[in-house]
Amino acid sequence: MRLLTTLLSLTLLGAPGSLAAKKSAEERFQLYHSKALSSAPVKLGDSAYRELTSTPRDYTVAVLLTAMDSRYGCQLCREFQPEWELLARSWTNGDKQGESRTVFGTLDFTDGRDVFMSLGLQTAPVLMLFPPTVGPHAAVSSDPIRYDFTSGAQAAEQVHSWIARHLPDRPHPPIKRPINWMRWISTFVVLSGGLTASYVAWPYVLPVIQNRTVWAAVTLISILLFTSGHMFNHIRNVPYVAGDGRGGISYFANGFQNQYGLETQIVAAMYGVLALSGISLAIKVPRMSDPKTQGVALLAWGGILFVVYSLLLSIFRQKNPGYPFSLPPFM
Amino acid sequence: MSADPLQGLASVGKGQSTRSLLRVIILALIAGAAISSRLFSVIRFESIIHEFDPWFNFRATKYLVANGFYNFWDWFDDRTWHPLGRVTGGTLYPGLMVTSGVIYHALRALTIPVDIRNICVLLAPGFSGLTAWAAYLLTNEMTPSSSAGLLAALFMGIAPGYISRSVAGSYDNEAIAIFLLVFTFYLWIKALKQGSMLWGALCALFYGYMVASWGGYAFITCLLPLHAFVLICMGRYGTRLYVAYTTWYALGTLASMQIPFVGFLPVKTSEHMPALGIFGFLQLLAFLDYVRSAIPSRQFQTFLWLFAGGTFGLGLLGLVIATSAGFIAPWSGRFYSLWDTGYAKIHIPIIASVSEHQPTAWPAFFFDLNMLIWLFPVGVYLCFQQLADEHVFIVVYALFGSYFAGVMVRLMLTLTPVVCVAAAMAVSALLDTYLSAKSPEPQEAQAAESSEGKKATKSGLRSTSKPVVGVYGLWGKSMMVSALAVYLLVFVLHCTWVTSNAYSSPSVVLASRMPDGSQHIIDDYREAYQWLRQNTHEDAKIMSWWDYGYQIGGMADRPTLVDNNTWNNTHIATVGKAMSSREEVSYPIMRQHEVDYVLVVFGGLLGYSGDDINKFLWMVRIAEGIWPDEVSERAFFTPRGEYRVDGEATETMKNSLMYKMSYYNYNNLFPPGQAVDRMRGARLPEVGPTLNTLEEAFTSENWIIRIYKVKDLDNLGRDHASAAAFDRGHKKKKVTKKRGPRVLRVD
Repeated sequence: MRLLTTLLSLTLLGAPGSLAAKKSAEERFQLYHSKALSSAPVKLGDSAYRELTSTPRDYTVAVLLTAMDSRYGCQLCREFQPEWELLARSWTNGDKQGESRTVFGTLDFTDGRDVFMSLGLQTAPVLMLFPPTVGPHAAVSSDPIRYDFTSGAQAAEQVHSWIARHLPDRPHPPIKRPINWMRWISTFVVLSGGLTASYVAWPYVLPVIQNRTVWAAVTLISILLFTSGHMFNHIRNVPYVAGDGRGGISYFANGFQNQYGLETQIVAAMYGVLALSGISLAIKVPRMSDPKTQGVALLAWGGILFVVYSLLLSIFRQKNPGYPFSLPPFM
Repeated sequence: MSADPLQGLASVGKGQSTRSLLRVIILALIAGAAISSRLFSVIRFESIIHEFDPWFNFRATKYLVANGFYNFWDWFDDRTWHPLGRVTGGTLYPGLMVTSGVIYHALRALTIPVDIRNICVLLAPGFSGLTAWAAYLLTNEMTPSSSAGLLAALFMGIAPGYISRSVAGSYDNEAIAIFLLVFTFYLWIKALKQGSMLWGALCALFYGYMVASWGGYAFITCLLPLHAFVLICMGRYGTRLYVAYTTWYALGTLASMQIPFVGFLPVKTSEHMPALGIFGFLQLLAFLDYVRSAIPSRQFQTFLWLFAGGTFGLGLLGLVIATSAGFIAPWSGRFYSLWDTGYAKIHIPIIASVSEHQPTAWPAFFFDLNMLIWLFPVGVYLCFQQLADEHVFIVVYALFGSYFAGVMVRLMLTLTPVVCVAAAMAVSALLDTYLSAKSPEPQEAQAAESSEGKKATKSGLRSTSKPVVGVYGLWGKSMMVSALAVYLLVFVLHCTWVTSNAYSSPSVVLASRMPDGSQHIIDDYREAYQWLRQNTHEDAKIMSWWDYGYQIGGMADRPTLVDNNTWNNTHIATVGKAMSSREEVSYPIMRQHEVDYVLVVFGGLLGYSGDDINKFLWMVRIAEGIWPDEVSERAFFTPRGEYRVDGEATETMKNSLMYKMSYYNYNNLFPPGQAVDRMRGARLPEVGPTLNTLEEAFTSENWIIRIYKVKDLDNLGRDHASAAAFDRGHKKKKVTKKRGPRVLRVD
């Protein structure tokens, strides 16, 4: 990669250098800076990119190479784009005089296919920072510094601090997030609507809130969710199910520290059935006045309890192969 | 005396005193079982302190016993965190050490000479017996059935979720903290039920003890106000609640502020704010109550709610403003990671790196609680039947505890008590129903139902609106009882198996099986620490990853750079940077920190998974957090995104100090080109790494621990690379300028 970019800057020195020679570095900077003032970041094409990044330059260029077209399905590009625009806009507006001598540009794949090819880029987005080669802030190497989005889309502040780190002793205009009026208004409307609705519906809602069975159900369901590893799914973003490599579906993840989304739901359901039969045996069955019904219910719930517990043990044994205990019928 | 021996036998257990005696005997037996099931490691290995943190606690206890309490309180430890040192007396929870110190001195006063190490090793099992007793007391407050308490004690005694942190040798804060947790809850329920200031004060006393023992006291600090708040919302405010809560809060907060480590946190940090807020809220309620008694009015109820709600809202607003303005500290990192689950991973790699801070997968729940996990909801449901104040507590605790246990593996510990209590209530309800010898008569039952059925009960659960009849058939009873007996038996077997297999390894000493089935002890850690103790200068500074800091301090008695008390992230990142950089970068860092020896753990020969190469990425990440320009995690992955150690490893990886130290000379063990890392299953390059600034000082029997000595500056003023090259017999390269084609500079 590094080699390629070096090659690229070498070629830039050669062929398009004649093109760049038309304008001095100062002219180029003024041109693009005024463009940026009207709409930052500057939208670049192939030639504009080459012109802007040609050496010698006494200014810094930050270019986001992205692929916004929906054909490429670049989720990350679309997530990062608003953050990038916010960063570029607040930087440029905070530095109208161009004291930081930085130009923000965006090069979309559809406009700059050749640049992507010459850089050998396989992925997008990539943020390139071209340091100045001459002038007071000149860097040792003219190679661009590359920012990889390895850990997903970054917030504008993180990228801002990265850029600021590479531009020492220059002003770093802070990020100004615009106030999201729409969001405030919609929150206010929704909130007041909710309050009105609850005020109107209060006489109907109150019995539900005061109903003990409802609370019991809510409590038990949340307990079952938490104890069956729902928070693990939430934090780790585990897949719902996975293939077993032979075209089928594998419901249970291998290994003690892994699980799938569906797996936890199966386990939660089994805990639920077990708890339900426990509740029935402890509360409902002794309250049945008819001996026959009671006998049937007792047999049914007791049987379900036994079979499901046996199944649970066998599933656990599958997760933890050394586990020695089991109950019939799932031995 | 009765003439018939059979009748005499049957009447035993009827009298009040016989029952109490039986109960005491059963509890004593349960405590015995709880203690003995924690002794696997002592019997298998020896009486030894386990793992990492206990080594620090042990060292601190020895200091306390040797130097007395006041010196311990003012202890400044200059042998850790070199060169910073640590104000140990002010940055630890002293409860554990003081407890064992008191036991030690008490035994000495009784002229029983016991080694302090044995007290430390056996403290956790001893307290587990007390925990079982506390669980018995707590459960007896919940249900009139006396068998429930005994079952809860049994469950608490042997549940692996609690054993995991309290086996013999696991001398950690949790060893006594779980007893204090359960006992504080018992006292709180007692205080709340009786509205008694005495019980409230006792509750505060044990709360203070808990604060002195474990950082997990915040769990109590949040749970009791939550319980009080739920009770208020249910319209159950009364003088009992007022007396119990205010007594506990006022005294308990004062007690907690006596611990230097806690200090003014109870009035500053957000996790203590609910307790303070509810305290203020209760004062308002009490005031309004008084006003109501003075001015009778019909609309007072509405006024009360509006006034109270408004004040609460204002208080919340004030809290938010004070937090955002910085008057009070924001959520501490560990606590914050409980709520915003993505927070730790992004912002605090040091917290995310600890394995016990990971979320809990479902097998862990089943592993630690077995059948209790599905009996738990049954017990919680039973609490909804009566829903007295104490049952509300169980419900709130169950929800709160299961959420936190799901987020963090180690908080399974705080969930276990409520699971045991609830499950014991469920099992005892089942046993009480199906063990009673009386069978109802069908006609009577139906008559009773028809008469009672008309009285529709308004409150309560729908399922309990009918009266209890009982179970008719003997076959049904015997079937259920035998099934329950089988489940309980499986539970006991499970607990024993888990304890024996998973939780009884000291991790300082490893065990493996020989081909003939006999046990082979791998004792590399102690071998290496002993080597350090015997062969290095007393003040030789040892650099290692922070996991081993406490062990080096405790076993080798040498100063360390970083240890398991991870209070200074920058210092840890410095060590991470030294480990993950090239030698030329690391050497100045080590010189600046006066490092004499570097210790790494290497599992490649034995296939030991807990070694430093596996932890290496965390070092890189933590270092990258401080020096993003100099250390980059990306550079340790191949272009295809793999973390490799073999020939395909990246240059950064191969040049890092950690890699070099781990694999230095390793290929000499094998025939040329055959060196294999058994842990990662990787074939290593034929030429091993070279080390210029370090020399190998010691490698343990199974190569688990490798110690390197940092070379002094070269006598002739050469840099280390050329000095080492000279020693290896390479000729000094002639310094010649590379003559490429001349290039005209145009800029």
